[in-house]
Amino acid sequence: MLALLRLALGLYFLGFVHSVLTIIRKKETFLVPAAIAMAAGFICQAASIGIQAYGIQSFPLTRLSESFSFFAALAVPVFFTVYWKYRIPSLSVFAFPMIFLMAFMANIGYDKTTDRPAILMSNWLYIHIPLVILGYVALFIAFSAAILYLIQERELKSKNPRMFYHRFPSLEVCDDLAYKSLAIGFPLMTLGMISGVLWAHNANLGPQWEFDTNILLTFFTWLIYLLLICYRLIAGWRGKKAAYLAIVGFVGVLVTFVGANYYGSVFHSFTQ
Amino acid sequence: MQLALIGVSHKTAPVEIRERLAFPSEKMRAALEALMERAKAGEAMILSTCNRVEIVAEGPSDELVRQFLYDYHRIAAESISDHLYCLQNAEAIRHVFRVTSSLDSMMIGEPQILGQVKEAYRIANDAGTIGTHLSALMTRAFAVAKRVRSETGISQSAVSISYAAVELARQIFSDLTGKTVMIIGASKMGELAAKHLKRNGVSSVLVTNRTFEKAVEVAKVFEGAAIPFEHFTDHIDRADIVISSTGAPHFVITKAMAERIIRHRKNKPVFFIDIAVPRDIDPAINEIDNVFLYDIDDLQQVIDANLKERLKEAHRAEEIIDGEVRAFCTRMQTRDVVPTIIELRAGIEKMRHDEIDRYRKKLKDFTPEQMAVIDQLTESLANKFLHSPITQMKEMAHDERGAEFAETVRKLFNIKAVDPPSGE
Repeated sequence: MLALLRLALGLYFLGFVHSVLTIIRKKETFLVPAAIAMAAGFICQAASIGIQAYGIQSFPLTRLSESFSFFAALAVPVFFTVYWKYRIPSLSVFAFPMIFLMAFMANIGYDKTTDRPAILMSNWLYIHIPLVILGYVALFIAFSAAILYLIQERELKSKNPRMFYHRFPSLEVCDDLAYKSLAIGFPLMTLGMISGVLWAHNANLGPQWEFDTNILLTFFTWLIYLLLICYRLIAGWRGKKAAYLAIVGFVGVLVTFVGANYYGSVFHSFTQ
Repeated sequence: MQLALIGVSHKTAPVEIRERLAFPSEKMRAALEALMERAKAGEAMILSTCNRVEIVAEGPSDELVRQFLYDYHRIAAESISDHLYCLQNAEAIRHVFRVTSSLDSMMIGEPQILGQVKEAYRIANDAGTIGTHLSALMTRAFAVAKRVRSETGISQSAVSISYAAVELARQIFSDLTGKTVMIIGASKMGELAAKHLKRNGVSSVLVTNRTFEKAVEVAKVFEGAAIPFEHFTDHIDRADIVISSTGAPHFVITKAMAERIIRHRKNKPVFFIDIAVPRDIDPAINEIDNVFLYDIDDLQQVIDANLKERLKEAHRAEEIIDGEVRAFCTRMQTRDVVPTIIELRAGIEKMRHDEIDRYRKKLKDFTPEQMAVIDQLTESLANKFLHSPITQMKEMAHDERGAEFAETVRKLFNIKAVDPPSGE
């Protein structure tokens, strides 16, 4: 099913090209064709995942590359939902390259062997990983909205707004989108973590699992988001400070998600 | 089609000249009728706005139209001839497209001109001075204006102080519905900005002024609330947008005050617009998070940038118009020539059949095969005769003189004038 995945990657690449052109030309000339390509890419990717799932008789989520693939596949419908609600074309500039990147890594790591580590073959897998990844997608949207906010804020404060600012959403919309996606992403991430803890507990992983590097890093990332939620709710933070913290939080997400293989993590290495 | 356009605009004539040539709307109908009669025009329309007076006529020479203009307004030719421009055919078409698309306006991209041209067209249509040519021209001009508007950014961004304020407010708040604006110090400019904001959805207006009566007066206009100047700081927290234009020699809003406001508002953004000179608001407040301050120069800077962008877009609009003028001319010329070709063919064909009928008696002994040969022979002869004039006319269709040439052919072959087929 690599062929379908590659086809999806090719289609996502068109979305990536759209982003680059938009940045260079400061105009979203190719948004419609790019969006169609992304939707077609999504169908190919969903088909690829479906066929693979049928082949191994379980949902392919045990490898890191499969998680990337899952992230990309989820991000497309999420992007379209947000677009439908908010009409922010400039969001595509962030979303499309991210989807392409994730699909690209999924392609590199693609492994058609069907043997799956026994330790991961549990129904917890289908709760833990989808929750976490859906949460990450929402937090990615929050991150993109935060960047849009910061660019727009700088344009307005500079008092010399260039043509670009006409094409960006208003500060209020950026802030609202950042807040709402945080309000969705954070609970999902929390539930994902709780399910992970329960899974580890049930699987009798031994006394040391809490000190797994990746688990600790995830916990720190979670704390950043908790802090952001508290500041927003209690101290009435909004705008710039909130945007900075949302960006820091997502960097944490990337470090834990992408780096899951690299710090000698035992349970999150995906490649046992 | 023989198109002539005579006119003056803000580019060629000062207001003293333009006002003398203006056609008041109540006299427009009579003027159109006079024009049709005196200039012997087939079709005509007159556009008269504060920035331009233009006559477009189909049929007459520009000399006749010019003479009409002098006579109608009782002006000596020499006093205005330097200001007049006279355009013909392709150049006249281009001018009509440019004017309608707002490329010839004082403020490029301003939207009023399209409405004014449409109104002038409607009046002429009601007066019965519009025929197939001007109808085709103006319909295309409106389509071109629409194309220019949607495909270029010439009328996209704000180019006035009050509208720039609205545009910036929109970039901060997106939807202005439910927002509150406070006017500090009643001034014309402040009121104008508030009026624009209100029209764009701002729901409540607070007005404060050193003389309270004046505040009450302005508040009445906006159906807002007047606030005594001594107490305005108690109410300013409610305002999402603050427009200040007092005559005060010192800052009315200080940094400490703005910090307090933003704290009370729990960081909800505030947009300060300072249109007073000397300034009313400490420029340092722009450093505070969620506070945005624009003074009169900042707004002017936004406008300048927008204007520059409009000029860049105007270049693209000119390219669109170039293509449109070419396409329209070709279509018009073909339109002059094609009916002539069709009628010429039909006329000769009829002549051939009539002649065969005339000789039918003498040919009665011929077998059907022989009759067929005669039919072929005559047809072939007719085609040979017609070949050269038709080829020439087809070639001339892409030339400016196409119509003239077609007219000559009509005369030579005695073809009666009929209306060209409508539709494209």
